This record gives sequence, structure tokens and C-alpha cells, in this order.
Amino acid sequence: MSATSSDDLRRALLGADPRLSRFDPLPRIISHDDFDRGHCGWSQLIGNYEGDLDSMLPGYQPLTNPMLSTLAHWEGGSHGGMDGSYVLKLATRPQRDTATVGIKRLTFRKAGPIRLEFYMTFKPEATSLALSEQDVKSVGFLLDLQSGDKSGSPERVMPHLRYLNAKDGVLQQKWQFKRGAPRIHDIGDGVDTVSHFHLEDDGWEDLPGGDQRLCYNEIPTKVNWHYVCLDFDLETMKATGFRCNDRAFDVSAFDSIRMPAMKNLWCMLNLAFFTETAADKRAFFYIDSVCLSGDF
Amino acid sequence: MLRESSTAVVARNETWTGASATEPYEAGWATEAVIFVRALKPAKGAMPQAFVEISPDGMRWIREGASLTLPSAADELAVARFQHFGNWLRLATELPDGAECTVLVTLHLK
Repeated sequence: MSATSSDDLRRALLGADPRLSRFDPLPRIISHDDFDRGHCGWSQLIGNYEGDLDSMLPGYQPLTNPMLSTLAHWEGGSHGGMDGSYVLKLATRPQRDTATVGIKRLTFRKAGPIRLEFYMTFKPEATSLALSEQDVKSVGFLLDLQSGDKSGSPERVMPHLRYLNAKDGVLQQKWQFKRGAPRIHDIGDGVDTVSHFHLEDDGWEDLPGGDQRLCYNEIPTKVNWHYVCLDFDLETMKATGFRCNDRAFDVSAFDSIRMPAMKNLWCMLNLAFFTETAADKRAFFYIDSVCLSGDF
Repeated sequence: MLRESSTAVVARNETWTGASATEPYEAGWATEAVIFVRALKPAKGAMPQAFVEISPDGMRWIREGASLTLPSAADELAVARFQHFGNWLRLATELPDGAECTVLVTLHLK
């Protein structure tokens, strides 16, 4: 079979599978997380600690456990997923500016192009009979990556993107990124364990051209799913593309949090979703489903 | 297909005083649950009962019927088992004035 017809056959098979035809994966699907099959490896983010849990940095203390949800609402019942009944749900605590994170931990086989695609939606907890459009501060995602142990110039790289929905009661509706070097804290005696909290509100920069109005809908209990796609090259450790729904964004100005390689994170490929609340009510971030693919 | 099973940490190193509860957790896929409370530090004062609560919407709560007495000594465990809970779950309690406990609460679902 020629290379062209092999590619045509692959595309036809993807197109005929309703679970995958909504994605545009690179040749190798590394994981496809449909939350009708359980949590699919998405778990709570735990801060590093040594001795006892009090040694964890304060930013990690309020993080909560992801859950499987049918997206049920008090007056409309179960909304269901993009496909099937269940979605992955992240819920903050009901305290303004708190965040929560869901994480999936992998390593990579080849330092080359990867693509992360997912469908997402978000809402505040429907504690008031009001639009509540400014109550979710942000939803976002990040990768936590480190070069292979034989890399010539190893580093740990953490690309972050968040959709800043609102802040201080004002809609913002724009994509932001974080770059630079974090402040590393010793944990315990500092010999084996260090930590840094990378989701503070400081350090976010607007992605040039990154303003985007999404479909919030008309009350807090109506949701619509959105497509998001990030292309990243694990060899150059640079983003090569970013899309959300009908928009493709210029990532030439995008950069990541970067720091020297750490002694026990070689080939790390972590994926994480997060959300922050802008009000004293819970922010809910729903994901259904996630496709991670690579060119190898 | 193997039966789905999952452990959720719904309170980790939280110090409870007064009216306290775990964050709401959705578990409509599960038919049975076990909840453990582990004291991470010695409690202060007399430990009250804590009650499993269920909810139609994650915002309004009613006691399910299962309960446990919060543990007093460091590393002591307390447990409650229950089923037919619908979707939303939490553990709620009210500590008397001056009482305090630091807990790890884990929810085991299948």
C-alpha cells in the first residue's frame, strides 16, 4: 500500500468512528479519554511534601478531587456529556480566587510533535437565579514536560494557557500564557524535595490576538461544548499551534515556564486542566473527551 | 468488563472547627460507598458524630442515615458504609466550641 493510500485509509477509519472523528489526531493516538470509561487516569494534583502534609505549599492545599459527573442541574436534570452520560468535572471550593486541578501523568517515547485536543465547558455553581457570567475566573490547561536524560540541553518546560473569563466582576474573555522561571522552594530539609506553585494570579500575559467570546449561554445551567487544540513540539519545546472552536491563534509570542531539568523527571509528559473561581461560589470545569496524539 | 472502582480524597489535612463538611462529590455511577476518616493529629476536645449527607443538587443537603464518630487519636480511623445515595455525597459535622480535628477523608466507590 502506498503512503498516500495508507493515510487515506487511516483518515477514513478515524472519520467513520464517531468517538474519534471529532478530533484531528497526529498519526499515533497516545490516549483517548472518554469519561464513560471511568476517570481514565485523571487524578487530583498533590503538592510535594516531606515529613507531613503541612510542608505542602499553601497553593496546593485547597485542590480537590476530580469526579465523574452527568452535569446535573437542580432545575434541568442531567445535561450529559458531549458523548454519553459522564464527563470529567473539576470543582473549586466556594472561595474567591481558589483553583483546582486535574492531572494525568505520562512520559513520552519520542521527543517530537504532540497534539492535545479536548472538548470543554464551564459554569459557576447555580446558587443564584442570575446569569452569573462573571463568576468563573478562568479555565485552562498546562503541560509539565522534561527532556530525556540524554538530551544535550535538558530542561523542564511548563506551557500554560488559560481562558481568563472574568476578573473583579468584569468580563475579560481572552487567552493568556505564562513564561519565565519559577521560584523554587525547598520542602523538608531540601535535599530530596523541592516545589513551586505555578498557578498564582501573577505572571499571566495576554496572548496577542487572544481575545475570544465563547458560548456561555443564557442561564447558569445551560452549557455548550467547545473544542480546544494545542500543538507542541517536544524536541524544540515550543508551541506550534493553538485553536479554540473556529479560531486559530498566532503562537509566535507564546512561551512557557522554564527551569533547569530536575533529577527525577526525565521524559515527563504531564497534562493538567485547571479552573479558578472569581466569586465565593464553586467554579465547575467539565471535559469530555480528551485526545493526546503524537507524530511517531 | 471489570466493575468501576475509585478512591477520592475529599478532605486532605483539613482542620475542622464548628460546622464543617467535605466538598460535594458526585458519584452517581456508583452503587455503594465506604467513607473513612483518619485523624492526622490528636484531636482537641470531645469528638462529635459526623453524618453522611445526600443532595438533589449538590447545594441542599439531607442526612442519609449513616454516621460515624470522628476519631480522636492521631492515625485513628472511623468508617461508615452506605448505598442508594443517588449522586451527591458529603460528610458533615458540627464540632463543639473549642474542639478541633485535622482529618483525611477518603471516599471509596464502586
